Amino acid sequence: MSLSLDATQLDRYSRHIIMDEIGPEGQAALLDGRVLVVGAGGLGAPVIQYLAAAGVGTIGVVDDDTVERSNLQRQVIHADSDVGIPKVESAAAFVADLNPDITVETYETRLSKANAADIIPEYDLVVDASDNFPTRYLVNDVCRLAEIPVSHGAIYRFEGQVTTLVPEGPCYRCLFPEPPEPGTVPDCATTGVLGVLPGTVGCLQATEAVKLLLDTGEPLVGTMLCYDAMDLSVERVPYRARDDCPICGTDPIDSIAGIEYSGGCQVEDVGSDRAASQ
Amino acid sequence: MHWKLFADLAEVAGDREVDVDVEADAPTVDDALSALLDAYPALEPRVLTDAGKLEPHLNLLKNGEQIGEPGLSTPVDEGDELALFPPVSGG
Repeated sequence: MSLSLDATQLDRYSRHIIMDEIGPEGQAALLDGRVLVVGAGGLGAPVIQYLAAAGVGTIGVVDDDTVERSNLQRQVIHADSDVGIPKVESAAAFVADLNPDITVETYETRLSKANAADIIPEYDLVVDASDNFPTRYLVNDVCRLAEIPVSHGAIYRFEGQVTTLVPEGPCYRCLFPEPPEPGTVPDCATTGVLGVLPGTVGCLQATEAVKLLLDTGEPLVGTMLCYDAMDLSVERVPYRARDDCPICGTDPIDSIAGIEYSGGCQVEDVGSDRAASQ
Repeated sequence: MHWKLFADLAEVAGDREVDVDVEADAPTVDDALSALLDAYPALEPRVLTDAGKLEPHLNLLKNGEQIGEPGLSTPVDEGDELALFPPVSGG
C-alpha cells in the first residue's frame, strides 16, 4: 500500500478523504488499485473517466478499435481531433490530462482466448465494458477461473443491465448460460443507442468497481439491475448460482480451452459428462 | 396476467407491458406464455426454439424471480407479473 498521500493528493482527493467510509486509507487503496477496463467505447469512456478522477492508480484498457466520428455522441473521453487514432491511445491521453497520478496500461488488441489469461490476472478486478457476447462470456469465464471480480454492464437502445460477479457469488452464466445465437439480438450499430445511456450504466459500473476496491457497501451480487431510460425505471432481478453452471457449479471446468468464443460460447468438448449434457 | 418484455422482445412485440387473458382453470406459466404468443405471434420465433422450448438464453421471471424452463408448470394467478428478458451485449 502507498505509504502516504502527498500534499497535492490530499488536496485532489480531499472530498474522498474527509468521508469516514473512505479516508486516507481508502484513497491509498484506490491509488494502489489495478482495474482492467475491457472496451474503451460507450461504457468504457465514463468508467475510465471516473476511475481516473477517483485516483484508481493503474487502469488497463483493452480495445482494438480506432475512434470514429459516430462514437462521439456517447464516448465522452474521445474528441473530434481523436478520430482515426486508436481508442486506447485516446483514452491514455485523456487520463494523463485529467490525473497525472494514474498509470494507464494499454492493450491495442481484442481480448481473446489467447491473451485473456495473460492480461486479466494482472488486475484486481475487471470492468466489462465490451460490446459483444463472445468477449462478455470470455471475461466471465476467465475471471471466474482466476477468482477476479467483474463489474458487468451492457446496453441496448434505451436499456441497461448491470451486475457484479464476485468469486463467492453467481457468475454471468448462472443467469444466461449461453448467449443468443449470433444475429438474434441486434447491436448498437444496427439499432442505435441513446447517447447518455452508457454514461448512466458506465457510472454504475465504476461505482461498483470503486466499492470493490474500497471493500465497502453492498456490491450488486446475485442481482441484475435492469435500467430503462425511457421511464427512468430500475428493476432488480435476483438470480442464484446454479449447481449445473459449467463455470462455477459443483463440477466446474478448469480451463477455457474447450470453449469456442466466436459463436455461441457453448461449453463443450471439455471431456466431462456434465459438459456434454449442456 | 401481466407480462413485461425487455430489450428486443419489447420491440418485436411492439409493447413493453402486455395484459393477456388465460382461459385455463388452473393456469400455469406455460398457459400464460401461450396466451402471450397468441396475442403477439411475432414473438414466437424469438421466444421458442424450433422444438417449441423456451429459448435457453431467455430468462422468465414470475414476480421478479427466475423460473426458467423447468418452471413452466408453475401455477400463476391473475395478479402475477411475468417477465421475459434476454441478455444484451452493447457497450
